[in-house]
Amino acid sequence: MAHIADGLLSVPVLLCGAGMAAAGVGLGLRRLDDRLIPRAGILAAAVFVGSLVSIPVGPSSVHVLMSGAMGLMLGIATFPAVLVILSLQALLFGFGGLTTLGVNTVNIALPGVVFAMLLGPAIRRAGHATTRAALAGLVGALSVAGTGGLVALSLALSSSDYAPVASVIIATYVPLMIGEAFVTATIVSFLARVHPDALRPVTS
Amino acid sequence: MKRVAAALLIALALASPAAAHKLKVFATVEGQAVRGYAFFIGGGRPNGSPWIAKDAAGKVVASGTTDAEGRFAFALPAAATTDLTVTVDTQEAHVASATLAASRLAGASSTAPPAPAPADGAADAGGDEARLAALIGAAVQKEIEPLMERLEAMDARLRFTDMLSGVFLIIGLAGIGLWARGLRR
Repeated sequence: MAHIADGLLSVPVLLCGAGMAAAGVGLGLRRLDDRLIPRAGILAAAVFVGSLVSIPVGPSSVHVLMSGAMGLMLGIATFPAVLVILSLQALLFGFGGLTTLGVNTVNIALPGVVFAMLLGPAIRRAGHATTRAALAGLVGALSVAGTGGLVALSLALSSSDYAPVASVIIATYVPLMIGEAFVTATIVSFLARVHPDALRPVTS
Repeated sequence: MKRVAAALLIALALASPAAAHKLKVFATVEGQAVRGYAFFIGGGRPNGSPWIAKDAAGKVVASGTTDAEGRFAFALPAAATTDLTVTVDTQEAHVASATLAASRLAGASSTAPPAPAPADGAADAGGDEARLAALIGAAVQKEIEPLMERLEAMDARLRFTDMLSGVFLIIGLAGIGLWARGLRR
């Protein structure tokens, strides 16, 4: 799924991914303050454990990515959190690979950060709980779609023998988008009720 | 924060350590055929995914798509003297392969073809011996197959201790971050 393994991508794609990931992690680290560090740690631990539980879907098996929820709660600091999660999964369980760490970090973190940045203000302002949940679900679903698109793009750009097939990608990512939408909506609704501050990565 | 931490601990306790996300391929030689299946660690088999078998020189020996149980099978070519690699590609960035060592293939192809039996008794006894060896080979293969499957599954098992160490490593990183910021002030 979202973790591309070693040996599937070409060197330019790997270098480009590593460069983008380094930029994102650099920006994110600068944003990490006393308020965000514990939050990033707890979220990274939760996502690390949560993404180990996978569900068989069609020809593949999927697991939650939670990049939308992370984007809403951490902003750009999602990058270092995702990098830590992916490094641990690669080192401890052999998911993904060490050379593809940069590409995978960008593929997962970037859509979450971008869509949370676009829809985040509307979610924080939303007066009605249903609107908020719907918008949060949208962030979750769009982030997964973005990740799917970026995974397909990185494989297609590498012109490898393992170029993904659109129908298979859709068959595996659409159920995940729906699941992710529900998970993100639940988390955001819960946080908005008990601890609205958790949805603000930047103190304003 | 405390509530989130409690939820995390509960999730951690509920998460089955056997669930995960990586494709593996198991292949075995049975007489004159190679068969096996692809599986996701923690459950699930890729169905309808293309597979391809190549020898060490990269020549395609056989190919096809997996069935509903993720299985594949093909007849061993007579000239299989090098390692065979079976690769399964789910077409969405999951690719895995298994390699069958040449020694395992050689054993299968040398014992399986029944030796042409000439009329005299000595050669007949030799033929019987060859057949017996083939039967023993098949029986042993059948007995050790579940063991090999089990090994393959355990090799890639998610361990609870690994999960815990990952979680505590993240907590440690957060602690180091806070400490470093404290120093700067």
